[in-house]
Amino acid sequence: MSGFQIVNGLAGLLIVTSLLVIIARRPTRSAMFYALQSLVLVGVFVTLAGTVGSHELYAWAATSFVTKVVLVPVMMVRMFGRLDDPKLGSGERISPAVSVLLAAVVVVLCFAVVSGVALPAVAAIKPALAVSLAHFFLGLAAIVTQRNILKQVFGYCLMENGSHLTLALLAAKAPELVEVGIATDAVFAVVIMAVLATQIHRTFGTLDADQLTTLKG
Amino acid sequence: MIDLALATILLPVLGAVLIALAPQPAAKSICRFFAGLALLSVLYLAYGFAAGGKVATERAFITLGDVEIVGFAVDTVSVLVAVAVVAIGFLVAIYSGGYFDVGNREHADIGRRRFWAFLLVFIGAMAGLVFTSTLVGQLVFFEITGACSWALIGYYEKPKALASALKALIITHIASIGLYVAASVLFLDTGTFSLSAIAQLPTGAKTVVMLAILVAAWGKSAQLPFHMWLPDAMEAPTPVSAYLHAASMVKVGVYIFARALMSSGGTPEIVGWVGTIMAVVTLVYGFVMYLPQADLKRLLAYSTITQLAYIFLGLSLSVFGSDLAFKGAIAHIFNHAFAKTLFFLIAGSLSYTAGTRMLPVLRGILAKSPVIGIGFTVAALAITGVPPFSGFFSKFAIFAGGFRVADAHPALMILVVVALLESVGSFAWFLKWVGWSVPGKPSETMAAAAPLPASMRLVLIVLIVMAVCSSFVATAWLG
Amino acid sequence: MVSSILPLLLLAVPLAAAVAVAVAPSGPTSSKFVEIVHVASISAVGVLALLVVGRTMAGDDVTALGNWLYVDPLAAIFVSLIGIVGFLTGLYALGYVRHEVAHGELTPAKHKIFYGFFNLFVFTMLLAVTSNNIVMMWVAVEATTLGSAFLVGLYGKRSSLEAAWKYVIICTVGVAFGLYGTILTFSNGAEVLAAPGGAIYWTTLAANAKLLDPTLVKIAFVFVLIGFGTKAGLFPMHAWLPDAHSEAPSPVSALLSGVLLKCALFVIIRYHVITMQAVGPEFSQSLLLTLGFLSVAVSAFLVYVQHDLKRKLAYHSVEHLGLIVLGLGIGGPLGIGAALLHAINHSFCKALLFCGSGNVLIKYGTRDLKSVKGLLRVAPVSGLLMMAGALALAGFPPFNIFVSEFLIFSAGVQEGHWGLMIVTALLFTITVAALIHIVSGSVLGKAPDTMVKGDVGPSMLVPMAGLLVLVLVMGVAVPQPVSRLIQQATAVVIGGDRTVPLAAPWQHPAPVAEIVAPARAEPRS
Repeated sequence: MSGFQIVNGLAGLLIVTSLLVIIARRPTRSAMFYALQSLVLVGVFVTLAGTVGSHELYAWAATSFVTKVVLVPVMMVRMFGRLDDPKLGSGERISPAVSVLLAAVVVVLCFAVVSGVALPAVAAIKPALAVSLAHFFLGLAAIVTQRNILKQVFGYCLMENGSHLTLALLAAKAPELVEVGIATDAVFAVVIMAVLATQIHRTFGTLDADQLTTLKG
Repeated sequence: MIDLALATILLPVLGAVLIALAPQPAAKSICRFFAGLALLSVLYLAYGFAAGGKVATERAFITLGDVEIVGFAVDTVSVLVAVAVVAIGFLVAIYSGGYFDVGNREHADIGRRRFWAFLLVFIGAMAGLVFTSTLVGQLVFFEITGACSWALIGYYEKPKALASALKALIITHIASIGLYVAASVLFLDTGTFSLSAIAQLPTGAKTVVMLAILVAAWGKSAQLPFHMWLPDAMEAPTPVSAYLHAASMVKVGVYIFARALMSSGGTPEIVGWVGTIMAVVTLVYGFVMYLPQADLKRLLAYSTITQLAYIFLGLSLSVFGSDLAFKGAIAHIFNHAFAKTLFFLIAGSLSYTAGTRMLPVLRGILAKSPVIGIGFTVAALAITGVPPFSGFFSKFAIFAGGFRVADAHPALMILVVVALLESVGSFAWFLKWVGWSVPGKPSETMAAAAPLPASMRLVLIVLIVMAVCSSFVATAWLG
Repeated sequence: MVSSILPLLLLAVPLAAAVAVAVAPSGPTSSKFVEIVHVASISAVGVLALLVVGRTMAGDDVTALGNWLYVDPLAAIFVSLIGIVGFLTGLYALGYVRHEVAHGELTPAKHKIFYGFFNLFVFTMLLAVTSNNIVMMWVAVEATTLGSAFLVGLYGKRSSLEAAWKYVIICTVGVAFGLYGTILTFSNGAEVLAAPGGAIYWTTLAANAKLLDPTLVKIAFVFVLIGFGTKAGLFPMHAWLPDAHSEAPSPVSALLSGVLLKCALFVIIRYHVITMQAVGPEFSQSLLLTLGFLSVAVSAFLVYVQHDLKRKLAYHSVEHLGLIVLGLGIGGPLGIGAALLHAINHSFCKALLFCGSGNVLIKYGTRDLKSVKGLLRVAPVSGLLMMAGALALAGFPPFNIFVSEFLIFSAGVQEGHWGLMIVTALLFTITVAALIHIVSGSVLGKAPDTMVKGDVGPSMLVPMAGLLVLVLVMGVAVPQPVSRLIQQATAVVIGGDRTVPLAAPWQHPAPVAEIVAPARAEPRS
C-alpha cells in the first residue's frame, strides 16, 4: 500500500470522526472525539511527510499534536465541563441520521468539484483533497444545524482542520511558520469562544443559540 | 471682478458662522449686516461690470490636476440674476426682522439663530449657483440650496412642516440625479466640467446632457412631474416662502437650464419640444389647481409653478431660434422674482396683522391697511402681466418670440395659444380675488388687524416700486 | 523597495502598549497610568503611520522583516486611516470611558480591559494591512476579530454578549473561508513558481499571476470574497455587523465601522489584483459589482426601517461598503480611484457619527430615536456635529461623501452601467431620507423636560471637531498628497506603472474648457 493510499484511507477516517464530533451528545465527549480526529490528522501529516519527503510536514505534525490533540481538547474539556444546559437536550436541529445523510451528500459534491482541478501534484491524493474540502463544509453545516453554542465551536474547529489538511496536501513544503500561525490562531479562537460561551452561560443561563434573540432587525 | 463675485458668495457664509458663535439676540443684526454687505458687493460688481463694457469673465477656482472643478463666470445674465437674488435676500432679511416677533398673530416666534444662519448660507449658495461656470459647481450649490431649504421649511418643527421639508428635499434630490448624469457625461466626453464645453459635445451626448439638465431643472423649479413639493413647502415661515420658493431657489432650475442653453452653441430641437410641451402641460395643470385654493400662500405656490412654466416655455422656444424668447425668459426670472416676493410678503403681512392667510375671510384690506392693499393689487397685476407692470413686458417678449418661431413649426402655435389662454384665465382669477379682498368695508378679521411694523412696511414699498420698474431695469440691462 | 524599521516600530508601539496595560496593576492609581500609555501609543501610531505613508509616497515601497511586511501606496491609504481615525477615536475614548466608569456602566477593571484591547485591536489591524505574507494577512484579520470581540461584549449585558457571540462565530466562520482561499492561492503559487517559498508573498504572487492556474484562482477569489466579505460586512454575510456595531462602546463602533471594515476590504483588493492579473478583470469585477449592488440595495431599505441610532448607522456602513465594492467592480482608473477615495471619506464621516452616537448615549441613555429628541437644544455642539455628519453622510456638498459618490457615479456612467448607477442613486435617496429623519426627529425638536442641558466635555468634542474638519477638507478640495496617494494606489490595483500618470479622465493633458480670463492660476482653495 503506497503512502498516498494510506493518506486517502486516513482521510476517510476523518469524515467518520467529524461525524462523531457532531453527533456526540455531550460537549466533553465531542472534545474527545475531536482529539481523536486531530490524531488522525497528525497521522495523515506523518504519512504524507514520509511519502513526499517533506521535513516541514514532520514539524507540522509535531505542532498539530501539541495544539490540537493535547492543548485544545484539554482546554475544552476543562472549560466546557463546567457548562451545562439540561433544557437544551441534544440541541440538534436535524436528527443524527439526517446529519449522516447530509455528510454523504457533501462528500459526493466535493468529489465532483475536486475532480475538476488539473494540478498534476494532486492526482494521487484527490480523494483526500475532496475529503478536506468536505470537512470544511461539514464544519459549516455543524454550526448551522446545532443550537448548542459549544457545538458551534466544534464546527469551527472542523472547518479549520479541513483547511489545514488542504494546505498540507496542496503545499507540503510551506514554511512551518505559516502552520504555526494558523495553529496559534485556532487556539486563540477556541479560547475566546470558550470565554464568551462561559459569560453567556453565566448571564443567560443557557447554551441555546436560539435563546440569543435580544437583537433583531 | 471675480473677487467681488467670490465676496458675494463668501460674506454671507462668514456671517452664518458668526451667528453660530454669537448669542441669539445678536443674530438678527449680524444677518442683516452681512446680507447688506453682500448686496453692496454685488451692486459694486454690477456697476464695475457695466462700466467696463460688460465683458464676460471667467476664472477657475478649484482645480484637480488640470480640470476645473468649480469656477466662476461673470456675464450679463449672471450679474442680473445675482443682483435680484441678493437684493431680495437683503430685503427679506430686513422684513424678517419685523416678521419674527412676539407680535406676530400667526406664529409668535422670536427668530432663532438657525433661521438667520441658514438664510445667510442660502444667500451665499444662491450667489454661488448664479456665478458658477461648471456643472459640478451647479450641482454643489444645487444641493446646498436644497439643504438650506429643508432646514428653513422645517423651521417651526411641527410634524407636518418636517414632513414637507423632507418631501421637498427628496424630490429635488431625485431630480438632481439629472445633474449627476449631465456632469458625468460632459466630463467623460470632454474631460472638463466647464459649461462652455457643452458646445463641443457630439449631438447625441449633447441631447442627453441637455435633457438631463432639464430634468434637474424641473425638480428644482417644481414643474411636472416634480411639482408636488412646492405647495407643501408653504409650511415654511412666509419670508422663507417668499425668498426661497418664489424669488430664488425655484429659479435655480430655470437658471441652470438657461445657462446650459447659452453654452450649448445650438441645442437639438428635441430638447425644445420636450421643454415646450412639459411647460404647457404644467401651465394648464397649475391653472386648474388655482381654482380650489383658499389659502393665499398655496394659491401663490401654484401661481409660481405656472410662472416658472412660462420661463421654461420661453427658454424652450429659444431652442427653435428665438433670441427674443430667451431674453424674455431671463427678464421674467428677474421680474417674477420681485413681483412674487412682494405677493408672498403681502401674505406674510396679512398673517402678521390679521393672523390668517385664508382669502375668504380677508376683505377690505385697502381700508384697513393701504400699503398691504396697494401691494396686493400691484403684485396681482404684475404677476398676471397687465401693462404697465413688469410681468407684461417679459411675457410679451416670450409670446412674441413664440409666435415668430411658430411660423416655421405650426405645432408650436397650438402650444403658444394654449399658454396665452392660460394667461388670460389666470388674470381673470386673480382679478376675482383682488376684487374680493382689496376694496370695500373691512371684514371682521381685517378690522381687528394689528398695525404693520415699519421694517416690513418699508420692504413692501420698495418691492411695490420694483414690481413696476423691474422690467425696465432688466430690459435696459439685457439690451 | 527599501527596507525600513518604520513598519516594525509602527506595529511594536500598540502591541507594547497593550502588554503594558495588561500587566499594569488594577486599581484607581493605575488608571491614570493606563490612560497615559494609551495616549502615548495612539499618538505614536498616528505619527509613525504618517511617516510610513510619507516614505511610501516618496516613491519607495517600504518593507521590513525580510519581505513579511510591505507598505505600498495601496497599503499606505489604509495605514493612514488606522493612524488618523485610531488617534481621534482613541482620544474620544478617554472622555467616553471615564464617563462610563464614573456612572457605573463599566467597572474599573473594564477600564483596563478596554484600553488593553483597544491597542491590541489597533495592532492587529495594522498587521493586516502591512503584511505581505498572505497567510499572516489572514492570521491578522482573524486576530482583529478576536481582539475586538471583548470590546464588543465589554458591557457584559445580555445584548452585548449576544452581539459578541454572533460577531465571533460569523466572522471566524467567514474568515475560515478566507483561510481556504488563502491556502488555495498559496498552493497554486507554490506549484507553479520556481521558488515555491515565494508563493507566500503577495508581491511575488501579483508579479507572477499570469503563471497561476486560472480555475484555482477563480475558486480562491470566491472563497476570499465570501470570507473577507463577511468581515467587510457585505450582504448577505452582514448579519453580525449591526449587532456588533450597535453594542460596542461608541469609540469602538467608530473604529469598527471606520477602519476595520476597510481592512477586510483591503485584503479583498489585494486578491482582486491577483485575480485581475491572472484571469483578466471580468471575473472578479462582475462578482464585486453584483455583491456591491446587492449590499447597497438591501441595506438602503434596512437603514430606513431602523429606529436604533447605532443600528441605523451600522446599516449605512453596509451600504457604503457596498458602494465602495461597486466602485471596484466598475473598475477602470476612475472607478478604483473613486472607490478608494470613498473608503477614506466614509471612514472619517462614519467615525464622526459613531462618536456622536456616543454623545447621544451619554446624554439620553438610549439609542432609540423615538426617545432621543432635541439634541441641538440639550447639547448644542454635539447636535451641530451630528447634523453636519448626517448631512455629510447623506452626500450633501460641501462635505466629502458627495465628492466620492459623484466620482463613482461618473465611473459607472463611463463604463456604461447607466441603469445600475441611476438605480443606485435612487437607492441612496432613500438613505438621504433616513438620515434626514435622524436630524429632524432627534437633533432638532423639543427636548424632554427632564433633560439636563449642557454638552459633553471638550475632551470628546475636540476629536469630533477634528473629524469634521477632515470631512470638510476632503469635501472642499482633496489635498494634493491625498490625491497623489490615491492615484498611485490605483496604479497598484490596475497593475500599471506608478510613475507614469494613469489615463484617468482627470489627467487629460489639455482641458477643453475655454477660460476667457488670463488669470487662471488661482491658488487652490
